Amino acid sequence: AMHFLSNNNFCHSPILALELKWLSCVLLDQAKEAMEQGEVPVGCLMVYREQIVGQGRNEVNETKNATRHAEMVAIDQVLDWCQRHSEKTTDVFEHTTLYVTVEPCIMCAAALRLLKIPLVIYGCRNDRFGGCGSVLNIATDYLPNTGTPFECIGGYRAEEAVEMLKTFYKQENPNAPKSKARKKD
Amino acid sequence: RRRTSDSECFSWEILPVLSEEECQGVELLPAYAAPILCKKETSRLVKEVSAIYPLPGLQHLKRVRACKEEPRQHDVEILICLASPLQKEESALSLRELLPTVKAECSSLGEPFVVQVPARPPLTRPQFRESSAHWPTSFHENKLVTKALDGQLFSWEEKNRMQKYMDQAIQAAKCGAAIGMEAVGAVVVNSSTGAVIAVGHDCRQGCNPLLHASIVGIDLVSHAQGGGVYNYDIYPDCKFFLSPNNNECAEIDAVDSPAGTHPTAVGLPYICTGFDLYVTREPCTMCAMALLHSRIQRVFYGTPSPDGALGSKYRIHSRRDLNHHFDVFRGILEDQCQELGNECHQVS
Ligand SMILES: [Zn+2]
Ligand SMILES: [Zn+2]
Repeated sequence: AMHFLSNNNFCHSPILALELKWLSCVLLDQAKEAMEQGEVPVGCLMVYREQIVGQGRNEVNETKNATRHAEMVAIDQVLDWCQRHSEKTTDVFEHTTLYVTVEPCIMCAAALRLLKIPLVIYGCRNDRFGGCGSVLNIATDYLPNTGTPFECIGGYRAEEAVEMLKTFYKQENPNAPKSKARKKD
Repeated sequence: RRRTSDSECFSWEILPVLSEEECQGVELLPAYAAPILCKKETSRLVKEVSAIYPLPGLQHLKRVRACKEEPRQHDVEILICLASPLQKEESALSLRELLPTVKAECSSLGEPFVVQVPARPPLTRPQFRESSAHWPTSFHENKLVTKALDGQLFSWEEKNRMQKYMDQAIQAAKCGAAIGMEAVGAVVVNSSTGAVIAVGHDCRQGCNPLLHASIVGIDLVSHAQGGGVYNYDIYPDCKFFLSPNNNECAEIDAVDSPAGTHPTAVGLPYICTGFDLYVTREPCTMCAMALLHSRIQRVFYGTPSPDGALGSKYRIHSRRDLNHHFDVFRGILEDQCQELGNECHQVS
């Protein structure tokens, strides 16, 4: 099920309320850092038993790999964390919550399903690529061979996430013709 | 001369994986039609009926059809208007109810009856054939789609090359399976030069359970272009090939791509622009979307997979609401690719 909640009634459990207080700062910082590096401003955190086991932001340009979305980067960190702490990765993922500033895209939503992550809390919708209801609903569709469905809660600090995306795309567009001209030289 | 050798040389058939719209059956709507009793009145009746019932959104429907069924009491029938979806033949409206203003002309029209007409314009020749059986429609044929559906899109030489690439993917899949991975292999090819850019296999039992063959293939292409994320030192059968102008090619391709719709924006690495992927089995949703993000040109897969996203469960490559579209074909060395899966299940 997907819910959209306002910030006021968002914190429906005391643990979640505490978590969110400090999580949201780290989360938006990640997105800001991405923007500073010329990446699409998306940031995410993965929380297992009240500790951050992975965090990530888009690294698409840096790696010249279009699949390096914040979620994929954070997943790799969780895998590293598991190795360092001798934890079974399946156990950790199955009890991990993903916090992400923008609704995961179709690719990332499928990745989260494959890893059996149970809960995703995100900021704004992703109208272009969203995999949790906006374009497809990978979170809940019947896909018996693709991990397990997960719960999505959207709308948390959505305004800030949207603002950042808007700023990013505004600053990107005027550059496009310039870079083309440069290439012709 | 080539024709005969075609069927002798390939044990497989290559089929296009079309969009949802191109694959679906013909949806029908009930409508009223009436016989034209005096054939000479046809063009006048068409003009008058069209003015009263313009049929918006149904421009593909012909207004009149010739009657072929015997015994034939009249030559032509005219489409009047859509009927209510629940309209029963017995309670069909009369001519006077349908066309109260066309009084004088009524004598040249027979009593109306209910017919089923195609709700959408046909996109493929099979849809056109099915539609025409109900009511004649116009058809703007995409010749390439028709050729592809007839298995005539690729030449013998092209198929021969495709078979070699897929065979390379199969060999990679076997190497992966030998070290405990799922038996899936992938080859990335520059479609304009024919050069192999990357060969890889599934690595999901290693450091990351998401390293499916397509994800590995994409990352190997990133490596070939000076980026990349994962280290493949322990997987000697996952490799990329540097060509002196690989980088340059990709950039030029991206800017001047004939599609022209997605020129490279600042720094965004649409690394697979102009590249084809050969993969032994249909990519899952994650892999299909990863290929879309990478702007792959075409995907060729051997055999379908249960939750596959390029034909089986979704058709990610042809969704109008996504910003990049690519062509998908299935069937190259299908039997051999399918066998890989069987062997793998026996192992695990
Ligand atoms: Zn994503
Ligand atoms: Zn996959």
